[in-house]
Amino acid sequence: MESKEIVKVVGFWVSPYSLRVEWALRLKGVEYEYIEEDIFNKTPLLSELNPVHKKVPVLIHGEKVALESLIILEYIDETWKQVPLLPEDPYDRAMARFLADLGEKLFVNAFMALCSEGDEKEKTLKLATEAVEKIEEELKGKTSKFCGGENMGYLDLALGWISHWLPVWEEVGCMKIVDPIQFPSTTLWMENFLNHPVIKEKLPPRDKMVIYFQWLRKEMVSQIAKYGPNGAWAILKLKSPPNYR
Amino acid sequence: MTIESDVVVVNFWGNGFGMRVRIALEEKGVTYEYKEEDLTAIQRSQLVLEMNPVRRSVPILIHQGRPVCESINILEYIDEVWKGNGAPHLLPHDPSDRAIARFWVHFIDNKLFSSQTKFLKSKGEAKEECKKELIAEFKQLEDVLGDKSYFGGDNFGFLDIAFIPISSMFYGYETHGNFKFEEECPKLSAWVRGCATRESVANVLPDPLEMYEVHKIFYGIQ
Repeated sequence: MESKEIVKVVGFWVSPYSLRVEWALRLKGVEYEYIEEDIFNKTPLLSELNPVHKKVPVLIHGEKVALESLIILEYIDETWKQVPLLPEDPYDRAMARFLADLGEKLFVNAFMALCSEGDEKEKTLKLATEAVEKIEEELKGKTSKFCGGENMGYLDLALGWISHWLPVWEEVGCMKIVDPIQFPSTTLWMENFLNHPVIKEKLPPRDKMVIYFQWLRKEMVSQIAKYGPNGAWAILKLKSPPNYR
Repeated sequence: MTIESDVVVVNFWGNGFGMRVRIALEEKGVTYEYKEEDLTAIQRSQLVLEMNPVRRSVPILIHQGRPVCESINILEYIDEVWKGNGAPHLLPHDPSDRAIARFWVHFIDNKLFSSQTKFLKSKGEAKEECKKELIAEFKQLEDVLGDKSYFGGDNFGFLDIAFIPISSMFYGYETHGNFKFEEECPKLSAWVRGCATRESVANVLPDPLEMYEVHKIFYGIQ
């Protein structure tokens, strides 16, 4: 089903959620306009497009709007049939969705490990490592380059943030989650992912990511100290980050 | 562990996520074997540990010996496997409508569910705040329903199936928070009554008083 309506992505330069939407469109060869949203100074546009959560990414396709990155990936796959992202077999699709969801849990735990200290850091680090163990089990013994086979697919796009964000968080947070000796299959998959031509040309610059996450970590650590982990998420009122552009 | 039947659902009778799976199968006219997992027990059964080693949770759908876990995953799987031969579609046909249905299910599973948990666990002034937040979120869903018979329009679909099990906790929320859904969300209440006339829903949803009693145990409510 070819579609000639205008496609736009509203995203944030360092959000892996918005990057995965751009990767999907690029893999499918779909042209789109990118609109950067400063999530620390949200625009009325974002409130209009996503009144419930006021979050990026947002996919605009003609008159339609799709929200939540993994839901957007399914929308993209159903609208543009070339270069299929999800496998054909229902069981394989269910497995891909299940593991993508596991990846989201890894994201939350790894991010909390980055932004916390002491017992909380230890706890979330352990949960993050356990999630990587499950991913390693899935990738172990696979002869293909990607989760989707010889071509990248939905699960690669869903887990892809691991290859570029996690090493930055490990550096900034002084921690190790993906040990190459403990997780050789995951490490190899990460390299394959980063070397894919579509991914290579659309990654946020590492040096700017380090500055950004150093700042974010400092803010989060101080908020969590005051309000606890749940309180920090609920009332996080961050000042604008340093000039990272 | 040998599984005799082609389609097996493992769930706890008071778990709304698993009710979704049973309702979906019944709507599709699929015969299944039901296996009860006692979530009040500390240990999970051998079956659950074997079929869902990652999350050790229910519901689990076991189809031809292979497990599918996480209720929304299972609904998508059911819709993709059992189609044709007059079986109803659970998800709408149009990609944009599908994305909207999935969005609101995501809202239920993330926002609404965590609000109901906070509400049930809180006391005093905090409970009043949580109650307001919970009711506000139900009203958001009521706005999505509008004047339609179902969230799926004329068809009882994916979002209806994902949402209806929580109605078995309405008595519990009303008792805990001293309010009436009929007053706060009249259209949603009408939708619940409409869904309750469907055989699948009537067969699967438990008694609301029993539902509240068992949730009191889980949430430590006196």
